[in-house]
Amino acid sequence: MPLDTSTYNLALLRVDGRRWNDLRRLHGQIRTQAAADGSSYLEMGNTKVMCVVTGPSESARRGGAGGGAGGPAASSSSSTATTPNGAEIAVTIVTGGFSTVDRKKRSRTDKRVQELQAGVAKALAGALHAHLYPRSTIAVSLHVLSQDGSLLACLVNASTLALVDAGVPMTDYLVACTAGSTSGHGAGDEGADPLLDLNGQEEQELPFLTLGTLGATDRVALLVCESRVQVGRLEGMMAVAADGCGHIRAALDRIVRDKGAQMVREGAIAKGESIGMDLD
Amino acid sequence: MTSLKRPTANDQSHLNLSSKVYVRSTKSGKVQKIVREVYLRQDIPCSSQICSNCRPPANAAGQVSPPVLSDKPAGTKAFPQGHYLVPDTNALLNAMDLFEQSSAFFDVIILQTVLEELRNRSLPLYNRLIGLTKSEDKRFYVFFNEFRLETYVAREQDESINDRNDRAVRQAVQWYNMHLAQVKSKRLPTVVMLTDDKGNIEKAKQDKVPAVTLRDYVGGLEDADRLLDMIAESRERGISRDKKAADFLYPEYFTMSKMMTGVKGGMLHQGIFNVSPYNYLEGSIKVPAFPKALLILGRDNINRAVDGDVVVVEVLPKDQWKEPSTKIIEEEAITKNENADGDEGEDLVTEKERRALQEEVKKTHTSSSEGRPQPTAKVVGIIKRNWRQYVGHIDQSSVGSAAKSGRKQDTVFLIPMDKKVPKIKLRTRQVGELLGKRILVTIDAWDRESRHPVGHFVRSLGELETKAAETEALLLEHDVQYRPFPKTVLDCLPKEGHDWKVPASTDDPGWKGREDLRGLLICSIDPVGCQDIDDALHARALPNGNFEVGVHIADVSHFVKPSNAMDNEASIRGTTVYLVDKRIDMLPMLLGTDLCSLKPYVERYAFSVLWELNQSADIVNVRFTKSVIKSREAFSYEQAQIRIDDDSQQDDLTKGMRTLLMLSKKLKQKRMDAGALSLSSPEVKVQMESETSDPIDVKTKELLDTNSLVEEFMLLANISVAGKIYEAFPQTAILRRHAAPPKTNFDELANQLKVKRGLELHVDSSRAVADSLDACRDPKEPFFNTLIRIMATRCMMSAEYFCAGTQAYPEFRHYGLASEIYTHFTSPIRRYADLCAHRQLAAAIDYEPMHPSVRSRGKLEAVCKNINVRHRNAQLAGRASIAYYVGQSLKGRVAEEEGFVMKIFSNGFVILVPRFGIEGLIRLRDLAETEPESVYDAENYTLKLSGSRDLTVELFQKVVVRISDAKDEATGKRGAKMELVKVI
Ligand SMILES: [Zn+2]
Repeated sequence: MPLDTSTYNLALLRVDGRRWNDLRRLHGQIRTQAAADGSSYLEMGNTKVMCVVTGPSESARRGGAGGGAGGPAASSSSSTATTPNGAEIAVTIVTGGFSTVDRKKRSRTDKRVQELQAGVAKALAGALHAHLYPRSTIAVSLHVLSQDGSLLACLVNASTLALVDAGVPMTDYLVACTAGSTSGHGAGDEGADPLLDLNGQEEQELPFLTLGTLGATDRVALLVCESRVQVGRLEGMMAVAADGCGHIRAALDRIVRDKGAQMVREGAIAKGESIGMDLD
Repeated sequence: MTSLKRPTANDQSHLNLSSKVYVRSTKSGKVQKIVREVYLRQDIPCSSQICSNCRPPANAAGQVSPPVLSDKPAGTKAFPQGHYLVPDTNALLNAMDLFEQSSAFFDVIILQTVLEELRNRSLPLYNRLIGLTKSEDKRFYVFFNEFRLETYVAREQDESINDRNDRAVRQAVQWYNMHLAQVKSKRLPTVVMLTDDKGNIEKAKQDKVPAVTLRDYVGGLEDADRLLDMIAESRERGISRDKKAADFLYPEYFTMSKMMTGVKGGMLHQGIFNVSPYNYLEGSIKVPAFPKALLILGRDNINRAVDGDVVVVEVLPKDQWKEPSTKIIEEEAITKNENADGDEGEDLVTEKERRALQEEVKKTHTSSSEGRPQPTAKVVGIIKRNWRQYVGHIDQSSVGSAAKSGRKQDTVFLIPMDKKVPKIKLRTRQVGELLGKRILVTIDAWDRESRHPVGHFVRSLGELETKAAETEALLLEHDVQYRPFPKTVLDCLPKEGHDWKVPASTDDPGWKGREDLRGLLICSIDPVGCQDIDDALHARALPNGNFEVGVHIADVSHFVKPSNAMDNEASIRGTTVYLVDKRIDMLPMLLGTDLCSLKPYVERYAFSVLWELNQSADIVNVRFTKSVIKSREAFSYEQAQIRIDDDSQQDDLTKGMRTLLMLSKKLKQKRMDAGALSLSSPEVKVQMESETSDPIDVKTKELLDTNSLVEEFMLLANISVAGKIYEAFPQTAILRRHAAPPKTNFDELANQLKVKRGLELHVDSSRAVADSLDACRDPKEPFFNTLIRIMATRCMMSAEYFCAGTQAYPEFRHYGLASEIYTHFTSPIRRYADLCAHRQLAAAIDYEPMHPSVRSRGKLEAVCKNINVRHRNAQLAGRASIAYYVGQSLKGRVAEEEGFVMKIFSNGFVILVPRFGIEGLIRLRDLAETEPESVYDAENYTLKLSGSRDLTVELFQKVVVRISDAKDEATGKRGAKMELVKVI
């Protein structure tokens, strides 16, 4: 077995050889499934997620009741978030039993999975211009292929890519990233370094939070912290995470632009004024 | 269709990526494959001060860690330009003591590969190494070679992990040398690999990597003889080991997975191995599956387990079940003339041992009318060794005559002070110097072909029987931290030192939230000469006829802030250890004996518990507050007693003390009615000559009413505080519990009382025990009751600290005190648990917010575990110290004293002498020139002697013994030796 996170202070290196402010390797693709309205595949380190977006399509809900208190939507296992008189966003997460080391299958009604679904749905509801699609549903279906930390962040980022592919208008890229602290809650080590983008081992041993921002701004769209962390360290962690979000936004943007440029090259779409983006 | 496969060329990462794949098996037997990413980089510095190419890394705050390795490292004959050492894992495993030397082993590069391997092999050694890397003058640098691009080594096909790791070490040494060669300097240090592995050395030579064996390297140092002894024995002979597979003396251990499966399936049992103090060939193990301990008899079955190891055992077939030994078997007597050098060709069990065991078997068979053979078991594997460092002395008889003068390496036996630990085989070149010294050794290994464990010398404590050496030995044996406090700890003390005072102005922040109780007539009552005064009391009558009673405890948590260096040190020490002539403090002197100590006539910060008690000592209400007090007087128990008894004293302070005494008696009665036990252990006090600090007399401690006065109010305070912190923190409150002993613990004693005295011992509740102990009286012999109480105490469980969340409420119960809930609050100067309770109470009354370390349950559980061990060790050390001084006080004297038979064996018996609080073993062979014939009646606990001495010895019998001082040849300890004069 390798060393644990307690060795960080020996040489300021993390368990996988990164420095405190290094992101893991990030690899993403969009339009991976031609048949879907929008699709993406994203790897952050060994956390691997696939996303398919369907919609916006006519809401399955009968009567078109606007309020959020309506009955179960498309599938009883998805979590939905509604915007006032806008589209409903339904998020479903499927985790493969093979995605974790102990190969334990989590059912869709698992509390943990439901929390993740709700988290993603709420964050997306704040970023999408859902009011453009009243009485319709945007279904986001996420498949977790492999887990190695920062799962929520990876899910959010993959959703963003797929939604861009689907052409759903949004304020900016919604990106998320984790940040942790090099020593546990109990240790009175005030000088503990904050860490960016935690892997699975670090998540198990250290306090961490997941922060989502809207693109280039530091506007917080999502903040989840389930571990105990001293208030004094929180600010440093959030600053590091926000910084990481900036880098991730740039990476996602590159993926989108590369794909666009490739499609233009291949003639799949005409380079024209209808696309207001600068595709280099 | 788009492929999801990632095009490699498209990898935008600036980092080089590799992955590490591990396969591990879980406790439940599943195999898991773990894949981890590894990012390879080029910015990991070599950390040599001569190198200008590397840039040291900075942390998030921008602080740069400067290079570690010296620019002018020490040179040796082989490396005159100076050198940096790179030890491999084996070098560290075999000779960690060497690396900790202050005379050599500077500028050492610890590779990540090695650190990882060491952590997997031995966590204690890993922790010691981490300690070394923090030492500034040793200059140990951890180089993360697995993360540096140039030194990362991928495992090749068919390459074993060990070979791959060795290659990684060589690669790192190679890189270091090439890297340093880029520096333009006249005096370039060589980077040298240090290893014990011959194969590795050869491969290093082929690759032209500088390498040297540990022995060759140490041989070239000054002081080589002393240092060479510190290298562990096991590894060197590794190559020849495989040849003589036939010579194994012990059965092979099961594999870990086989043991795990067995334990899971209930066929094997896991537990901690304990050796009987009277018979080194008899061990026992308590396993969850059975109510009583399993016996493990004989060398074969013990199979290299050492007292304290966590082992797995298999129950033996029923025809091998036996009664526990009724015989005293001492290793020294039986293996006296064994040769330390020769193991080969000998049987595992010597002829003598075998005979001793056969006799045992016979005895068991003949007494089968009573016939209650007990299940026996054999050790089939070790889960965890709990070897520590052992103190002992070299067995004179194992030393060859030539060795005493020469420089030849010699193999000798070390006899540990702890009789439960087997002799340790030691190879040394300095036998001459070590004879007659107390020395510290560690066990390295116990292989199947070696009858005794093999160890190596660590250091000498000094001449046998000198006070310094014996005291240090005692502290080491009980794992007491006795080194002076380091500077980092002393830096946490208030800057004013002894001049610190309670601020005069009540506007000072120190006064915030404190009540001014300086007007109360408070006094303290403690043993004579007590310097660390934890507690003080007061009482006064209230207009409504009730009483206000206050217990004021030193406010240690004001001075010791959580998680600073001083707090960490105190949490490791756990408790102050009291020896006869020495006190090893938990907190620095300045706090313990001055600033925190509630000395008289000065103002001190305190944490007060204030009750309103009615006439019958029932609590009307209670409150807690931080306060400032001024003690009016510090009494000794005697002084307080005299003052209370003296009717001419009619001042308010004395009246308050009388009130306290009156209330304490009522409290005590209430406790007794609830079933509190009054248990006993022999307590004695050694009186010292003040000038020479030689002991002059031993006295049994006298108990006055004032002792019990203080005790009752401390109990009351502890119980009140326990309730309060539990209410505030139901998960994390630090409490103390005393579990009810299993009924079987009393079986033996109950049977003894029934057979010998016709007395019944009821054990259904603590009340029943208390009542039947009260009934155990012998009108002719007042001490009989105390004797039974002492023996009953040994059947009890020990009390323990725990976190409230780890137990259900009914389990909180303190059996001995008959209290539902209990904690320690009243001695924060000398117990860490009390300090935690103070912090929790302060938070519970909203005096200050809870620090995270007192709130994290995991951390508190670790604290509890540690202080439980420390508490026990401190008690043992204290007792051992008294035993030593009792021996010293007897020096040159012969005393005849009364004693009582506590335990009977078939070849001896144990006597307790109340006057000195000591127990002594009298063997039959000590009774007369030729050992008398004996008939042992186990059912009636009687030993009938005839032949050279006619005598009948019975359990509980009163005897007269002659006590003199003698050196125990077996352990080298000086102690009381007893001879039987007559039975009464
Ligand atoms: Zn360098």
